[in-house]
Amino acid sequence: MPYQERGHGRRGRSDRKHNGYHGGRNKHGVGDKAQEFLETTDTSSPVIKSFQQYASELDFKHDKFERIVKLSRDVTIESKRIIFLLHTLDRESKRDAILAEASSRLTQLVNTHFKAIAKELKGEDPYQYIKAYTAGLQEYVEAVTFRDYLMNNSLQSWTMIQQDLNYRNSDVPSEDESVATTEEKAIATCSASSNDEDGSFKTYVSPVDYILGVADLTGELMRKCINNLGSGNIEGCYQTCTFVREIYSGFLGVNCTGLKEMSRKLATLRQSLSKMEVACYTIHVRGSEIPKHMLADVISGTQGNFLEEDEGFY
Amino acid sequence: MTLPMSEVFTSFQDYLNTEQELREEIRNIVKDIEQTAREILTTLQSIHHEGGIQEIPASCQKARTLFGGIKEGYKKLAEKIPADHYYRYHDHWRFVSQRAAFLASLTIYLESGQLASRETVAEIMGVKVQRDEGFHLDLEDYLMGLLQLSSEMSRFAVNSVTCGDYSRPLQISRFVAELNAGFRLLNLKNDSLRKRFDALKYDVKKIEEVVYDLTIRGLKPETSSTNLMGEGDISEKA
Repeated sequence: MPYQERGHGRRGRSDRKHNGYHGGRNKHGVGDKAQEFLETTDTSSPVIKSFQQYASELDFKHDKFERIVKLSRDVTIESKRIIFLLHTLDRESKRDAILAEASSRLTQLVNTHFKAIAKELKGEDPYQYIKAYTAGLQEYVEAVTFRDYLMNNSLQSWTMIQQDLNYRNSDVPSEDESVATTEEKAIATCSASSNDEDGSFKTYVSPVDYILGVADLTGELMRKCINNLGSGNIEGCYQTCTFVREIYSGFLGVNCTGLKEMSRKLATLRQSLSKMEVACYTIHVRGSEIPKHMLADVISGTQGNFLEEDEGFY
Repeated sequence: MTLPMSEVFTSFQDYLNTEQELREEIRNIVKDIEQTAREILTTLQSIHHEGGIQEIPASCQKARTLFGGIKEGYKKLAEKIPADHYYRYHDHWRFVSQRAAFLASLTIYLESGQLASRETVAEIMGVKVQRDEGFHLDLEDYLMGLLQLSSEMSRFAVNSVTCGDYSRPLQISRFVAELNAGFRLLNLKNDSLRKRFDALKYDVKKIEEVVYDLTIRGLKPETSSTNLMGEGDISEKA
């Protein structure tokens, strides 16, 4: 009975606070009143009825969100593994095999996890659930762009990545006309509509997630550059450095006020780039006097102070 | 098929610029809605003032007129926001929507003593109920508005006693109990709604205390005591 507690007034209140009661299910305190109410009132009362409706709506939303979070986590793990696999690509002989495996695993992701996410987003506002899959998506963008860099020495555009994640009901990835408008226009207007009239659906790639994925990519490229040294691939080292430099100047041209994460990543990018530039400098200055296989040691020596700040990598 | 690097970034910059412009427009509209909402809030505060209870119909009338401005604001917002972008910019109007939902439900309560349904609140605000119908009232914003209402009710219960209206606290107690019962049906995640809901029990407690004080002093009006919830055992104890 609620009024038993009323007897010890204030004390009753603080007790309730301390026993960690958070009003989940009807147990003590004011809950009794509500429960009593439920028992004595016809459950067909309009208020109760509408709250039952609200409850099911909220549950639906939360469940969907959780399901997407789960999928996103799997995407993150698999993308990290793919990136790791791509890092083992240092010998020409294995190159094709590794790229093929990475590509097929990426396609696998597109056809399973992202498709499942896209199905969840069917008919929804993608922005309502974007927080649920943004982490997985960024990691995926990182993996895809890394693969693309290794294959074509280019940066895969947002439009391309979005196209991969468009699906048709007939289960064929769509290369349809609606997306094939001019690139800038597509990205600027950036229709987020998740279901078109023709029954296609997609995992919406937010341009912000894409750019943040690209920022992460530069971290991988820095590792790749240093690894290249280790295997004596001086050419690749210069090439990667130039590529990252281009990305860096691209980032400098973007006004990123209001995107907190972005300025953080930009700082990391600047760090990675200077590591690579110092490496290239060392090769240039001392390259002729040191045997190739020892260069890596020399460079990691000069970089001790940089590498300490490096994020963990498994 | 691949773009030159610079184009990747310029198109991203274009995207950001478009977004920034829209956000600026949204901010301006929301500012207007907030201003109107403040006016309504001030108007309805009169219920707490001495003699304000008699002026309730007039205050509600005035609030209703002011809601016209809110409706207009939401109409402008609805025109600006493309379909499926509601949640992209939701943060801009989340707060004011909660406030408006609170004010609308308070108005309805003062007019009829009923708990305003989501449909009614949305109608007063001039927005849709479901997402697929267009610019809508987010369910959680509506619920937050109701929780704000419960705090206002607990204040109202106290002040109405001060003004000598002893039957209103009983009515409020019943009203908030029903609200509380409703909220207990929801499975809340550990989010802001849940935190706000946790405060509801203190509002309920406060109102019950007021009812209790009235009861033990025999100030409770005889007529309404029998049909009110949970009042029976108080009188027994008293």
